[in-house]
Amino acid sequence: MTVPRKNISLFLSILFSLFIGCKNNSTTSSSQVVIAIPSDVERINPLFSYSINEANINELLFLSLVKHTWNRQAGELKTEPMFATSWEWNLDSSAIMLQLRDDVQWSDGVPLSINDVIFSFDVYSDPVVESYLYGSFKCFYTDKEEHIISSKTFEKLSETKLKINFKPGSTPTLFNLDFPIVPKHIFDKMPRTEIATAEESFAPVTSGPFTLEKWEKNQAVIIKENPTSFLHKDGNIKRIIFKVIPDYNARLAQLKNGEIDLAEYLKPEDVSQLKNSGSFVVTSLKGREYDYLGWNNLDPILYKKSGKIVPNKLFGSVKTRQALSMAINRNEVLSQYLRGYGAVANSPISPIFKNAVDDKLPPYSFDLAKARTLLEEEGWSDKDQNGILEKEGIEFKFTLTISSNNPRRIFAATVFKNNFRQLGIDMKIDQVELGMLIDRINNKSVDAWMASWIIPIPLDLKFSWYSNLITTPMNFPSYQNKELDALLDNLETKITGQQKNDSYKKVEAILYRDQPVTFLYWIDNVVAYNKKLKNIEVTPLGTVHHCWLWQ
Amino acid sequence: MKRSLSILPLAKRITTSAFVLFLTVSFLFVLVRIAPGDPSQKFISPKLSPKLVEKVKTSFQLDKQIHVQYLSFVKNAATGNLGVSYAFHRPVVEVIFDVLPFTILFAVSAFALQLIAGLLLAVFAFHHNQKIWDKLLSRGSMFLYAVPSFVSGLLFIYVFSVQLKIFPSSGIKTVGTLESSFFLLLVDYTKHLFLPVLVLSLTGLPVYFKYFRENFEENQKKLFTLYLRANGVSERKILLSHLIPNSLNSIIAYAGVDLGILFSGALITEVIFSLPGMGRLTINAILGHDYPLIVGCTLTAGILIIFTSLLADLIRLNIDKRLIKGLLN
Repeated sequence: MTVPRKNISLFLSILFSLFIGCKNNSTTSSSQVVIAIPSDVERINPLFSYSINEANINELLFLSLVKHTWNRQAGELKTEPMFATSWEWNLDSSAIMLQLRDDVQWSDGVPLSINDVIFSFDVYSDPVVESYLYGSFKCFYTDKEEHIISSKTFEKLSETKLKINFKPGSTPTLFNLDFPIVPKHIFDKMPRTEIATAEESFAPVTSGPFTLEKWEKNQAVIIKENPTSFLHKDGNIKRIIFKVIPDYNARLAQLKNGEIDLAEYLKPEDVSQLKNSGSFVVTSLKGREYDYLGWNNLDPILYKKSGKIVPNKLFGSVKTRQALSMAINRNEVLSQYLRGYGAVANSPISPIFKNAVDDKLPPYSFDLAKARTLLEEEGWSDKDQNGILEKEGIEFKFTLTISSNNPRRIFAATVFKNNFRQLGIDMKIDQVELGMLIDRINNKSVDAWMASWIIPIPLDLKFSWYSNLITTPMNFPSYQNKELDALLDNLETKITGQQKNDSYKKVEAILYRDQPVTFLYWIDNVVAYNKKLKNIEVTPLGTVHHCWLWQ
Repeated sequence: MKRSLSILPLAKRITTSAFVLFLTVSFLFVLVRIAPGDPSQKFISPKLSPKLVEKVKTSFQLDKQIHVQYLSFVKNAATGNLGVSYAFHRPVVEVIFDVLPFTILFAVSAFALQLIAGLLLAVFAFHHNQKIWDKLLSRGSMFLYAVPSFVSGLLFIYVFSVQLKIFPSSGIKTVGTLESSFFLLLVDYTKHLFLPVLVLSLTGLPVYFKYFRENFEENQKKLFTLYLRANGVSERKILLSHLIPNSLNSIIAYAGVDLGILFSGALITEVIFSLPGMGRLTINAILGHDYPLIVGCTLTAGILIIFTSLLADLIRLNIDKRLIKGLLN
């Protein structure tokens, strides 16, 4: 028995039309947004918001006591009510009185109460939980393990009025209260050590303007509006899909194709194409991340052997480091690689902090003649005429270690290698896996490296610039300066905003002068989103931020 | 007696494979721990306290000596417990079983496509022996083999997803769909898997094509083919009943290993098409220093490769009993 060819063709064409015709309309809905994320979240539990994506999603699912917005004019944070409707500090800022809402419910119907707030502080600071905020409650009364002592800290004045007492001498701000509140009735039932792996960390009970609709592992996190939330407004976004797309090119293709509505960290070379299409708003988030050339200020071999801090033979001197900063052409990377989506960095204080940054500081310009003079003053010269500078028998040769998966840094390293060569400095480039680079930087076993910092908001410099290398493990260049330490200590005392800004400017002047690292450039996070989306504000606090206001 | 003869070498083969697997996993267990970096690195951040890093190290047992960690691992592994993934915070076995069904479906689809298409094209080329189609297919297969999957993947996405908008460019199904009928779901899955399966099979297809084509050529020259022709057996029957079965032996051996490798993940295709497979899981585990998951993925891949290779040998054995001694030793 044979099937006629005509019948086979007919069957195939019906199948093909069915195949092509079966379209799903869900992603084209006008009230939903599809946001690309490069990797899936690990958990949906605000206690463990280690990554930006987890923090973004948790902000939409869980209420905090207060929320923060960015005041562009002043270049600083502005606090607004959330679960707390109002607050009042006492005269010496050692306590705060919070008025709480009484109309919020968890997604399982249980009311969100003052007990959840107290429980949240307790559980976030509990060492066995290992929350992302562990060790950050320095303004609170804590035990040796930095666990908040609730009896000393909280006073329940009524069912909606809470008083929080802070440690004497500390400088608390409302930012210390801005973290998602977690449900006591859920997590109190289980041992604290099991919260991290509990089912509720994957299918959470929430309180925010959105609730979790579905989490398709490795595919997407889907959240939908919570109509009972006081943040809910008709006409705003009803559904957000965080779609996992690990490959950059696939993300870009889907953006152009309309399968996703918003993507971040786009390459500058793709911007013109997106702009020309006329379908997207292309903008950028500025001043949160800078690249730097790290100089090991101490001798890595001696430090490893005996823990002795001896200045590095190449990078131990201020003048040499200044010369190195003048010897590199940062503008070449800015114009050719970043295509204008960045700005020269003078210090770790971002230009977004308008009152704290000294905008009159001139950037170290590319000036080989001046750099050569400085190096000569330090005793570096090419006596044997082999093209490489030497001093006391040591040639100016070093290896720059960079991560192998970052094309920007590979490009920049090549530019800088050529720049240094013109000056008589021989730099080799060693590309290693990121984990290995972090390991080497941590162990202080590299001479020089290129990496980046994402700066925290509110501004904090102590974690990376304080001289004590034991308590400040993130002082990777091992830079030590007592004057700077005094200023950083002073910033933690009760001083006015103006005094604070003045201190920051002094800190910046010292770091600018000493160049413990060469600050390279602030890198913009290029964002593109579909023009149909309205009311999106890209601020230093992020792009996917306060999405309940999106339309 | 006959039965015990075949069971003994089989048991020997399984025992040897298990021992090799155990050694591999033990070696890997030590290797990942002495390699630079550790899982606590991701907790080095301006917004996290350095104290947290110390806490995490303790809870991951990284403060213990390697031999202590190893003994604890062996003890737990013996009961089927491979530990808890540092990244997923769930038992490793559960995490692997989340992606394994998809990986098997994906691998088997691509494997079947490359095997069947390779066979059909080889038959077609053989039918047009030394003619233009044969030459075109032969050169075309070399070209296909040389094209990396990230190039073909991106090209297909550009043509079929961006320009023609026929197939979706990522995922295994449309995200955010409400529950729909079985048929619609099936169509949705098929549409999503069409391009990835095609891309994945494109590199394997030329290999099968070449194997089949060359084996046909070789067997055609053998005496049995001449004898069959002399007896007036039709060319179609010679091909279907004699050339193809006689060409299968070496191909099955290759296919066994190939399927095992496909089971252990197709990283590039999975990344380009955002598919949740073993390849992506393994590479993320390696990059994130997720030690228990690295060991779990390796163990799973090893078991699957050994299983498919053994299965291939058993099929070959079933076809040709003469192979029993050589294969099972």
